[in-house]
Amino acid sequence: MKKIVLVVAILVMALSLAGCKPKAAEPQEKIIIGSIQDLSGGASEAGKANAWGAEYAVKVINENGGIDGRQIEIITLDCKNDLNEGINVYRKLVDEYKVDAIIGPPLSNPASGWVELSEEDQVPIVGHFADEITTTNPDTGAVYPFMYLVQPSCGQQSDAIAKFAIETLGLKTYATLYNTGNAFAKAHAIPFMKYVRDHGGSVVAEETFTWTDTDYSAQALKIVAANPEAVFLSDYANQAATAYDALRDAGFTGVILGANTLALPFPTLVKNEIHDLYFLQNYDMLNPETRCYDLHQTYMKEVGSEYPKANVGFGWDAVQVLAAALEKAKDPKDGVEVREILESTKGVEICMGDITINPATHRPTTLGMHIAVYDENNTMQILTYVEP
Amino acid sequence: MVSQLIVNGISIGAVYALIAVGFAIVFSIMRFSNFAHGGMISACAFIGFYFQRAFDPAPPFYITILFTAVCGMAIAILIDTLGYSRIRKKKSPGIYYFLMSLTFAILIEQILTVFYGTNMYGYPKVFQNETFMIGDLRFKIMNLVILGVSVAMLIALILLINKTKVGLAIRAVAINAEAGKLMGINSGMIVTLIFVIAGILAGVSGVFLGVQYSVYPAVGSIMMVKGFIASVIGGLGSLSGAIFAALALGLIEIFLTYFLGARETTVIMFAIMLAFLFLRPQGISGKITEDKV
Repeated sequence: MKKIVLVVAILVMALSLAGCKPKAAEPQEKIIIGSIQDLSGGASEAGKANAWGAEYAVKVINENGGIDGRQIEIITLDCKNDLNEGINVYRKLVDEYKVDAIIGPPLSNPASGWVELSEEDQVPIVGHFADEITTTNPDTGAVYPFMYLVQPSCGQQSDAIAKFAIETLGLKTYATLYNTGNAFAKAHAIPFMKYVRDHGGSVVAEETFTWTDTDYSAQALKIVAANPEAVFLSDYANQAATAYDALRDAGFTGVILGANTLALPFPTLVKNEIHDLYFLQNYDMLNPETRCYDLHQTYMKEVGSEYPKANVGFGWDAVQVLAAALEKAKDPKDGVEVREILESTKGVEICMGDITINPATHRPTTLGMHIAVYDENNTMQILTYVEP
Repeated sequence: MVSQLIVNGISIGAVYALIAVGFAIVFSIMRFSNFAHGGMISACAFIGFYFQRAFDPAPPFYITILFTAVCGMAIAILIDTLGYSRIRKKKSPGIYYFLMSLTFAILIEQILTVFYGTNMYGYPKVFQNETFMIGDLRFKIMNLVILGVSVAMLIALILLINKTKVGLAIRAVAINAEAGKLMGINSGMIVTLIFVIAGILAGVSGVFLGVQYSVYPAVGSIMMVKGFIASVIGGLGSLSGAIFAALALGLIEIFLTYFLGARETTVIMFAIMLAFLFLRPQGISGKITEDKV
């Protein structure tokens, strides 16, 4: 009897164990990334392209298994290129959506509102807000620990074109024409003039306009009277086009240098023939041999755009830099750890090149800028690359 | 250099005059500042742009101007029908016209932004060469065209208002709409006619601004500021005052910008407007208008 009971007991136990399934592995918690872009404000054309690039990068990462098996969820909100709206959507992402990191816009105005908030909330922000004030305190030089710029800063970009003009074109006398109401324009024009003066050149005219000005002919006449060899225009495309036409209409036949806002569709906005124009570009978007070529072609096909937009590369690159840090982190949801890893970013492959971030400034040290021109068909051609 | 500044200043002033007159003509009858004029200008700039692109090759420039003038007229009638006429029927206070006009201005700009974004578009090139020289003076061809068209339209308007029965009716309604009705004038038709004229001016302005400055949703509202200043200085409701003030504004602006700088110029321009409002609120031509009354 006892034997029968024992056998039955063993059988029951064996059957119970056989019926037990192994405990299913719990799905890993998603990594949540916020993306703040200008989707409806004054820079929305760039913002939408930026958002597309970031979302596409997340899609590709997820399709390749995510980050250590964790999928990424990206939540895109609209800052409308406004400081206050930028803070509102930041707060929404951090407080409501509990994001682990944020991809920022290529706009310094809204980004400047997050420099201290990101430290309080310990949320790393990676973006293309090129004004130096978004990564380092303009008064003390101290770095904002949770802010990271992944393209050359305004000053670095201006140095690149000034270096090209002085060393390659051999020009010595310059003028500037820029919008004093536009932080982007000022953040380019002032370092440009400094570089020229520091390297043996001279600035013979510094002319400005404001947002409410629609005619720059007076400024153009003054510049022509000063007779510089080159004029540097650093503004958004519309103002730059008006300035270009004003200069050519006033009889200026010299070299015109421009910021990275002179890409397509700039030739469709100017009335004068484009000649002797050299401008900055972050990517060589039309070269099939570059890293970003397929990305830009995919964007153009999907969105129906006639031309590539650098901002697609911006969104993509920002996500790649952040993803590289998230992969190295033991806990990708730990903002402090991710921040420390971002600070030591070295040789991460992005469309723009291999990026290494300077821990003292949170800006890249290894990214240069392309110099572009328009050919006789107004097709953009990359002329050369200026090393950092 | 001074001669060149004068040439450039008059050119700029001609653009302001076209906008200021569209503004002034509505004020002369309706006694309110029609800020929707800026929205109409933006809408017409886009209409002209897409009209040009719809055909290959692009139609002659004057055809585009005529087409957008007609479209401007239609938009103006639509705004009057949907908004201002209802206020007239209810005999509401004048402030409602102002609010309605501001609302339409913002609405039109936002509709354009929704459909076209904040991207900028460029009209195809109209002239092979943009400028030519006479002696040491450089003239921009488009500026001369704008000046010519502005002057022609303004002469036509002044002749209409001063030499025709319709113009007599317009002046009568401007003085007193109720008395005009008692005299057998169809005030409603006159008001519609005024908006038609303003719409035509918006259409023409839109194309010229689009050609000069690119096409984007805010192009009208940005230029409206200058047109408004010219109207105030010239005397709200006075066509000749608006024209004179616009030309003067163009000259003052270019000389100040040349000798003082852009930032200072903006401040001074608004200070001049304020000075007129304080010292002579009827504007340059206001006294003439008062004498006529």
